[in-house]
Amino acid sequence: MDLRNRLTTELNRRLRRNPRYSLRAFARSLALHHTTVARLVNGTRRASGPMLTRIGRRLGLSDPALTSMRRHEHAARVLDASQLPDFRADCRWIAMKTGVELDDVNRALHLLIHERRLEMSSPSSWTIIQP
Amino acid sequence: MSNPVVRWQVISPDPEASSAFLTKLFGWRTTRDNPLGYREVQAGEGGIHGGVWPAPAGVKPFVQLFVRVDDIDDIVARAVALGAQIIVPKAVLPGGDEMAVLMDPQGLPIAISTAQ
Repeated sequence: MDLRNRLTTELNRRLRRNPRYSLRAFARSLALHHTTVARLVNGTRRASGPMLTRIGRRLGLSDPALTSMRRHEHAARVLDASQLPDFRADCRWIAMKTGVELDDVNRALHLLIHERRLEMSSPSSWTIIQP
Repeated sequence: MSNPVVRWQVISPDPEASSAFLTKLFGWRTTRDNPLGYREVQAGEGGIHGGVWPAPAGVKPFVQLFVRVDDIDDIVARAVALGAQIIVPKAVLPGGDEMAVLMDPQGLPIAISTAQ
């Protein structure tokens, strides 16, 4: 589960327990501004590596869960990059565009292909597979 | 006989350390000068060359063989009929070669590739 899904799931869980729970309260619990959380949840912003770790800690994630979220976040960034108009099927280019380290781009690529979320369909283009 | 083993690949949680170990121990050369940033290992003269790829989360290091095949789809279909699972479905690499990774019925991952 990437950060966006993790935040959405957690926010919905808290809302079920308390229908008056607010995004601002959620943001306070994460020590973030509410607009930042809103952008993370609606997918218009990706968290930096350190921010991802801080949020994971605030959510009480275990080390394996945090590692898993980091991997899925990397995968989400690779998917984002694959949709850019100037996309290049080049992991260094993806690393540069996403800020994800090259080895983690490789890991993300493996994860996405293994989970049938991305197809390396030609030497120069990759296709997102819709669930 | 067709379908030769043409490459080995170390899957490592710390690919940089694994690569450094191999180059220091055997004097092999490593380059990442390819679109994947893949650590290609030039092993000793007359031997089979290999590579190092970062392991997925929670996977311990192991060595995987690459078998060169002419038709990935045909081999995948035959492997599945023999009880294998598809780990990585056919992918077209940036250089144009195709590859896939299978798991044999005993649980051993094996890669197939059209690369020379």
